[in-house]
Amino acid sequence: MKSFLGPLDQDGRIPPHQQTRVAAFLMSAHGAQARHLAASLPGNLRDSWEVELHIQYCREMEILSLLARATSWVPDPMLAFLIWQWESAWWPQPAEGVADRHQGLLIDMAAFGHAVHAVTRPAALLPEHVSTADPFAMALRRIELESGRLMQAQTLFLKGQQFLPVRDAVAAAVERRHAQVREHLNSTLHGIEIETSGRHLMETTFQVALRSDAAYQASLQGGQAKIAHNDKAAS
Amino acid sequence: MPSLAHGLNRIRYELHGPKEGPAYILINGLTQYVEIWHPYRDALVARGFRVAIFDLLGQGVSEKPTLFINQDDQVAVVHDLVVELGGGPVFLAGISFGGVIALRYAIAHGDTIAGLVPISAFAEVSPQLFLLGKAMMTGLVLGGTSYLMDLLFPMNLSNAWIGPHIHALETAKRRGWLLNDVFALQNLMESFLDFEPLTPQLPSIRVPTMILNGEFDFLTPRPLQETMRAHIPDSALVIVPHAYHAFTLEKPALTADLLARFADDVVAGRWQGKGSVWIGPEKAGGEFTPFPAGYDHLRALPVRLEEREEAKVP
Repeated sequence: MKSFLGPLDQDGRIPPHQQTRVAAFLMSAHGAQARHLAASLPGNLRDSWEVELHIQYCREMEILSLLARATSWVPDPMLAFLIWQWESAWWPQPAEGVADRHQGLLIDMAAFGHAVHAVTRPAALLPEHVSTADPFAMALRRIELESGRLMQAQTLFLKGQQFLPVRDAVAAAVERRHAQVREHLNSTLHGIEIETSGRHLMETTFQVALRSDAAYQASLQGGQAKIAHNDKAAS
Repeated sequence: MPSLAHGLNRIRYELHGPKEGPAYILINGLTQYVEIWHPYRDALVARGFRVAIFDLLGQGVSEKPTLFINQDDQVAVVHDLVVELGGGPVFLAGISFGGVIALRYAIAHGDTIAGLVPISAFAEVSPQLFLLGKAMMTGLVLGGTSYLMDLLFPMNLSNAWIGPHIHALETAKRRGWLLNDVFALQNLMESFLDFEPLTPQLPSIRVPTMILNGEFDFLTPRPLQETMRAHIPDSALVIVPHAYHAFTLEKPALTADLLARFADDVVAGRWQGKGSVWIGPEKAGGEFTPFPAGYDHLRALPVRLEEREEAKVP
């Protein structure tokens, strides 16, 4: 298992079979979000929050278009099964503990959007030295950046005063969707030999350089030597 | 990877050093993670301390609550760690956000610790800090964790550190960026939206307290440290020369030495806070210098206290 996508090809790009699997997962999740938004978007915008809904819808369509065009697609026989599995999971499910079914569906929709934008973090899958010319890598960075912004609408909505009486139910709905998206993402990544849980233990180029930086090491060891000298003098 | 269960949340932590030694719990600031304290672990363990380091709830590899993080939960996590450490003397140090959690802990459970070290911390949110925090949150939301760190680097580190590393900052940010999520950092920052000043409760902190403040700390400048010095009875303020807000990253050997000497003094019964003000050493093992008598330690210019008092007279 590796912590990041790769190994990179000779041009420093992500292998096409990994691009295909990751892009398919992201398109399924963002596609579901786009469908939810399209279904809720009125023909004429009469309220300010509907403007935000429209923005969200357009950004999701941009993400789908970007992935469709920036990915080096290759045939993947597993996709038919995986897509069925993912799409079943994304199906709307009213938040439990909310009496009003319509409100429950709205909470679930926002919870799902929050989870997709918060959990997937596609740019964090990229290895440190991926080519800046790789359109797929560029697309993943763009999606992650945009996700942080898009998530704000769901965050504001879900934390809103209107849900104070059902705050626990809202929190549970968001936790459920986060766990669900994380489970499917991890399983998708395992399918291409990626396991992200240990990546905090991997040294970055900076840390490797720091370890071999004589001046930095001397400052640490110099401190230790001086302390030892003082301790000895004190005793 | 050892983890501590706090309710439904899992907290990643590490324990190092001899079981019988006095212990230090080190609390992270925003965007930080366990590995940042490893130079401290090495320095303190070498001097006989037990060291507990952990990822705050919402950061690093610890659980990241999806919508809300309450600072009381962070305090409860610290309490779980204190219990885990057993009955020996426990010292608590925290930087910035972690310093606030350390203060809160000392207010709530002061009887369970032997000493407190708030580093670049604050008990009140000044108008400047409020606006800076708000701008940082907007930066986080619009530009992601990477942009937030772009803001934090020049605000919190010195030219002496940034200069040699300026071409490597992208990779320097990478681990913090990988380990921290926008939604979780946002939850942590939003936990300050209803922040009530801790100042009225500071006199209840009865343990020896060493307040560490960087000479050039721009984010939490000296007047914010002064609140703690003036209200925590057994405290001393130590100004760390040439240091900015995040000097724990920049001067680990010096800061670890300050922590060790403070704990040694407390354990040996030598510590006398008395609200005193000191200029810290430049290097680990160096001498402390009393702040010059009669001068105002809140000013950047050498202004005599009498002149300041005179200036107030209309």
